[in-house]
Amino acid sequence: MHNSKLLKLLAVLLAFVMIAAACGDDDDEGSTDAETETPDEGGSDGEGDDDTVELTQSGGTLAKVQDAGTLQCGGNDTLPGFGIVDADGAFSGFDIDFCAVVAAAVLGDSTAVEVTPLVAAQRFPTLQSGEIDILIRNTTWTASRDGAEQANFLHTTFYDGQGFMVAADSGIASLDDVADASICVLTGTTTLLNLNAVLGDLGIPFTAVEFESNDELNPAFQAGQCEVWTSDASQLASFAANMDIETSILPEIISKEPLGPVVADGDTEWAQVVNWAVMATVQAWEWGIDSTNVDDFLTSEDSNILRFLGEPIEDDDGNSVVAEVGLGLDPKFAYNIISQVGNYQEIFEKNLGPIGLALEGSPNDLWTNGGLQYVPPFR
Amino acid sequence: MITALLWLLAIAAVGTVIYVVGRLLWDIFQLIAERRRGAEDAELPPLWRDVKVIGIGAQIAALVLIGLIGSYLWGNFTDRADQIGLDLSFDFLDQPGGITIADNPLSANDTVAEAITAGFFNTIRIILLGIPAAVILGTLVGVARLSNNWVLRKLATGFVEFIRNTPPLVVIIFVWRVVFLEGFPRAQEAWKPLGEWFIFNNSRFAFPSLEGQDNFGAFQVVVLVGLAAAAGVGYWRTQVFNNTGTPHRRVLWGLGTLVSICLLGYIALGGPVAMSKPMLDEAGRVYTGGVRMQMPYAALTFALILYTSSHIAEIVRGSILAVHKGQVEAANALALSGFQRYRFVVLPQAMRVAFPPLINQFLNFSKNSSLAIAIGFAETTSIINNLFGQSQPAPQLLLILMLLYLALSLVLSLIGNVINSRLQIVGR
Repeated sequence: MHNSKLLKLLAVLLAFVMIAAACGDDDDEGSTDAETETPDEGGSDGEGDDDTVELTQSGGTLAKVQDAGTLQCGGNDTLPGFGIVDADGAFSGFDIDFCAVVAAAVLGDSTAVEVTPLVAAQRFPTLQSGEIDILIRNTTWTASRDGAEQANFLHTTFYDGQGFMVAADSGIASLDDVADASICVLTGTTTLLNLNAVLGDLGIPFTAVEFESNDELNPAFQAGQCEVWTSDASQLASFAANMDIETSILPEIISKEPLGPVVADGDTEWAQVVNWAVMATVQAWEWGIDSTNVDDFLTSEDSNILRFLGEPIEDDDGNSVVAEVGLGLDPKFAYNIISQVGNYQEIFEKNLGPIGLALEGSPNDLWTNGGLQYVPPFR
Repeated sequence: MITALLWLLAIAAVGTVIYVVGRLLWDIFQLIAERRRGAEDAELPPLWRDVKVIGIGAQIAALVLIGLIGSYLWGNFTDRADQIGLDLSFDFLDQPGGITIADNPLSANDTVAEAITAGFFNTIRIILLGIPAAVILGTLVGVARLSNNWVLRKLATGFVEFIRNTPPLVVIIFVWRVVFLEGFPRAQEAWKPLGEWFIFNNSRFAFPSLEGQDNFGAFQVVVLVGLAAAAGVGYWRTQVFNNTGTPHRRVLWGLGTLVSICLLGYIALGGPVAMSKPMLDEAGRVYTGGVRMQMPYAALTFALILYTSSHIAEIVRGSILAVHKGQVEAANALALSGFQRYRFVVLPQAMRVAFPPLINQFLNFSKNSSLAIAIGFAETTSIINNLFGQSQPAPQLLLILMLLYLALSLVLSLIGNVINSRLQIVGR
């Protein structure tokens, strides 16, 4: 009798799944047909029949965002300096400001951003689902993420590396002293992979203590559940600034962690828009344009700057024309970004200065100063 | 194991669909046959007023509706998957998982399937310790809530109301943070009570354990013999009780037999087992001897025991109140003591009422164990979540996660139902 009850329960549950799967197959074929049609339409407007109108959105994140009027941005809410939520529920930070940069470029309004806080393990599924348009959440660019996660990594906004933090009185001075220690690390991060790989290769045994959020990891480290905290060096600095105990950072940096904005695969138009919006902040910095002096540059003698800011320039015939780079954005998108949010240097110093990170001399400095921030020309 | 489970469930799914559709077709076939027969006698109501036709029509409508909703959702999913080129195969299970678990032999080069399996065993470890403990604590608190002792009664009420009305995640984080993390010293200053036979710190707990010496194999045989003898003695006492009515005391008799045989064997074999004392080095890192327990495991299990026992206490209290007053009066008339009254009259009857809702609590317990993710204990959900971040595909992993908990719940409720059917009065 109980078996038959169980069987019925199983039947109901699994029938649901199977019917969904069976019916879905038909649907699947239908949509594949429709999608193969779509490229033939070539994006031409008005020609498609009713069926394809809905399906042309496969490449239309830009149009979707402009229709909606807000940018859906996936961010962090527990990392001071990069993405943190304050008592009023407002987000701020380096990554969050780059969401604002994209919103300023696409919508002309840097405040038209809705931030969805995500834990590390959720970020790619959320991006894949299309729930967020862009993910800027201290996310490291790796080959397997570009490949297996259907993610498209864009211009690196922050060059980081994985470091180790210990309590100042722990007696640990270098990675060699870490043997058999407990190491706190966030789950679902490249940090954990690096830790396993690097310490594994060095033959240093350790116990990983994994947390989902820094909200729990931080007290666990301070109470001594784990002696070592490993994470991106910038994150360690940002937490150390607000800690009750004295800490020190080990000299070893075990990885390259390029952090930057990510969009889902399959929409090149949107990826280019986001990329150039982000790179505009670096270009502005290179030219010395910031939010305080951007209006002075509107009358600049330099035609490159005028083109960058979307100001009309005189062509050979004496007509003034506005250069159109063909990204599908307002020609004044760079002006909007700089006037509403600021250039790269401003964003960096506003958010990361207070937690003790210096821009000068770091890999994030401009290429002309020996750093890595280099962007292609805005022509 | 994971692959086998997936296949099993896939076969079950196909089987059930065939069963459901076949059942419906059979009903339709029978209905048609019946109406044909009826048409000859000309005594059937018209189609739209025939209860059976309406019934089958409703079933078909429900199936179609479910199918439509399902196909919409599935289509939505596959459209998006096609759009971004998501790989929906299960090949990733054989890739290296890159996961390590504290105090577990799992290495970073072991496969994803092995990592998930290790996590699932950790879930089972929480359940094996937690559910029996929660039942015992819940029963004690439930009985205490009905006690005549004012202080005990109010304490029990306070415990139940406080814990039961708090979300389980809050209880877990509170217990982890306040009781275990801040309550125990760090490893370097570990607390070692009882002549250093126990080690407590906010990273691990270590306990003494038994360690096999020479003749350990022979001793294992002796223990097995002891167990068999104890079972035999228990059976004999039951027979005596059934035949003569003398109190059987089979547990005492059985235990006595087991202990005396083991003791004899221990002496005869010259100490085949010894206590292993846990040791911790100066730096508070390397343990030798004894058995270790992860602090997050202890915190999670303790918190879940508290949370679940507060619910069980209410079920037990309600069930005790459901036992007819005449039973208590009869027990008093037989001059049973307070303990005997509960043990032999009230609780056996109350358990009959309590057990079905208890099964529910067992299921809740197993599902709440997934909250371990917050405090860093590597059980199923935590491992799967970790894999998300290591470029393993989320849709398939989520499916596996759901199926694992489904399988766990089905097994738990199967066990519960078997026990329940044995508890019930055999009716005619």
